[in-house]
Amino acid sequence: MAIASTDPPAESRWWPAARWLLVVALTTGVLWLTRDALDKAHMALAFLLVVLAGSARHGRRLGFALAVACFLCFNFFLLPPYHTFRVADPLDWAVLATFLITGGVAAQLLYAAQRQTLIARQRADEIDRLSVLGAETLNAGRAEDAVVAIAEVIKATLRLVRCEIWMHGPETNGFIRVADVHARPMSPLPFDERLFGQVMDEGLLAVQPGGAEAVLTRHGLEGLGAALREHGDAHGLLIPLRVRGDGVGILGLVDQSPMRLDAGQERFAQVLSYYAALAVERVQLVADAERMHALREADRLREAVLAGVSHDLRTPLTTIKALAYELRATGDERTYLIEEEADRLNALVADLLDLSRLNAGALPCNPVIVAVEDLIGTALQRVAGAQGAREIVTAMGMADTIPVGRFDPGLSVRALVNLLENALKYSPEEAPVEVRFEREGDFLAVAVLDRGPGVAAEEAARMFEPFHRLPGGPPDVRGVGLGLAIARRLAEVQGGAVRYAARPGGGSSFTLVLPAADIPELTDAEPSPTT
Amino acid sequence: MLLNGARFTVTDAEANTPADTILIIDDEVQIRRVVRNALSDVGVRVIEAATGRDGIDLAAAERPLLIVLDLGLPDMPGISVCTEIRAWSSAPIIVLSARHSDAEKVTLLDAGADDYVTKPFSTAEFLARVRAQLRRARIAEYPGAADPLEIDGLVIDVARRLVSRSGRTIHLTPTEWDLLRAFVRHMGRTLTHQQIFREVWGGGAGDAQTYLRVHIANLRRKVEQDPVRPRLILTEPSVGYRFDRPSS
Repeated sequence: MAIASTDPPAESRWWPAARWLLVVALTTGVLWLTRDALDKAHMALAFLLVVLAGSARHGRRLGFALAVACFLCFNFFLLPPYHTFRVADPLDWAVLATFLITGGVAAQLLYAAQRQTLIARQRADEIDRLSVLGAETLNAGRAEDAVVAIAEVIKATLRLVRCEIWMHGPETNGFIRVADVHARPMSPLPFDERLFGQVMDEGLLAVQPGGAEAVLTRHGLEGLGAALREHGDAHGLLIPLRVRGDGVGILGLVDQSPMRLDAGQERFAQVLSYYAALAVERVQLVADAERMHALREADRLREAVLAGVSHDLRTPLTTIKALAYELRATGDERTYLIEEEADRLNALVADLLDLSRLNAGALPCNPVIVAVEDLIGTALQRVAGAQGAREIVTAMGMADTIPVGRFDPGLSVRALVNLLENALKYSPEEAPVEVRFEREGDFLAVAVLDRGPGVAAEEAARMFEPFHRLPGGPPDVRGVGLGLAIARRLAEVQGGAVRYAARPGGGSSFTLVLPAADIPELTDAEPSPTT
Repeated sequence: MLLNGARFTVTDAEANTPADTILIIDDEVQIRRVVRNALSDVGVRVIEAATGRDGIDLAAAERPLLIVLDLGLPDMPGISVCTEIRAWSSAPIIVLSARHSDAEKVTLLDAGADDYVTKPFSTAEFLARVRAQLRRARIAEYPGAADPLEIDGLVIDVARRLVSRSGRTIHLTPTEWDLLRAFVRHMGRTLTHQQIFREVWGGGAGDAQTYLRVHIANLRRKVEQDPVRPRLILTEPSVGYRFDRPSS
């Protein structure tokens, strides 16, 4: 698993050397035969030609070797006195030295130029592969296809036999294999949930030596080369896939022989890992979106069913109530009960619908400037039917300026009605329910006080949960335990709250808190002409 | 008596002028029946239509004094029926709604409906609304235009711009007076906020719209005996206000 390298492969290193030494010998022979007719410069040029040709063909090392060999031959055979390494003329030393330096520099320059070319070609290849990968990833219609495409490119680029990509599912807290490409049937990486978790969470690489168990290294993705050098016989490699610091999955690589990556491949593997991480994240996001869509659809369906039931229920309830009213003429007291029960059923369905909408965040809220008196008055008007013989006392300071708030009048009236109905339910007949108003800083506080049994401290928090009914309440108290839960939620969607406190002297105090508003003094319109 | 074959049913109640006819447009037989029975106390002739189209035709043919319209019709939206009838008839329209939002009710009232009751409504409440609308329909002039109006101890003299309770004159600001006059003119009708703006401020937007509820609260403090338990100016939260004689 290696791509073309700058140095020739080891097994063929000596053969070209021998061949080129033969060329040096031949050149020396020819020059020796004609040495009387030739100038020293001609000889030096001929040798230089051999050095350049050799280093161009086989690289820097051979170039240096040839330069030295030529230098020796030149000196021994062609410079007088012949057949010794002594040189008679000191100028000849200069010729020899110049030759040696020129040969060496030429070999080095050639080497550098060739190396630049090679690196440029490799870069071009990398860019080609990455652009192909980018295109494939973007073209893949489904997120899963993009992951497989990336696995294919990783396997092909790094010349592996198998590449697997595992996605971590946050909701199942487990790993799912989303891509598995392999050249020929061969055993996949042994799955080890604990190790996979460590690799992903700690962002460390794991290697699997041939036939042995995979072990965690101390290197992250940036230390990929170092990890492989430390674990020389790694046949398998686990790479953490992370996006913006969060683990999304695992990239598993398998090779037949121990993995070796040069600097280029290492960088490539790192880039590809990031691509794979992004592709896995895309799969996760698509899965999330699908899940959200399913949830929304379920919500919508529940809302539709409730709304449909509520609608279909109202027509027969209207008939029942109207018939009960007609029968009232006969003097049968039970007709009142029929009407009351029909109203209860209607209220229950309306509560369920409200709760469903509150849960789905689908209750429209339009805050406007509302006078507190209007809020309390409308709520009192609404509970007049349920009030029976019980009295409701209002304690409102009639200050000159009318206290106002900014909230949704419809939602707030319902919240206050629920609190009033609750108080009327638990209050003994002879004790009046009290409604008090106070301004508390930026909020309005409308308190509903009763002389009922009160609420035990441990129940105080739970009573606002839907369908929670207080234990030990009077047996004739009706309802399914939605009133307080809905009141609190209605207040909260408007930026308010519902508070509970035990009432001094016995009973409960529920306070509806809503945002207050300060308005300028109203400037009145000009008197309009009398009609 | 049957008109146009089986399409319309016309029930004769007690002796009445032909104009004292109420039209019920509702596809549910049961609802038509209970509404008809409830109206037998009012002493009017009741005619019925099961679809919006038939309802419009019958309203054109019979010129009823009042129309009761169900919103959940199978053939066309209730609001279209309302708009079409309102184009050529001023007969009050009371809408029966089942699960319609406040916004839809406002749209309906702005489109010309006079009042609405939500199912399951109580017959007593429904009859009170019908009586109020019939009163309005039978009186050609605005209430209080000729003689001072006396409601729940409050005396309103529209012509002389005077309001008093127990002989004591109540001082209203110009805006409060305009509001009260609008309420009196449309007594028994549910007025949307928009309709009140148009009536009092001529549709101009601005502070007036924002503080309409505060103006009403001020007016209540002056004309109601107990502003926290109003008997004259009633709030329909998120829809508007209704001014009427106390029903009890």
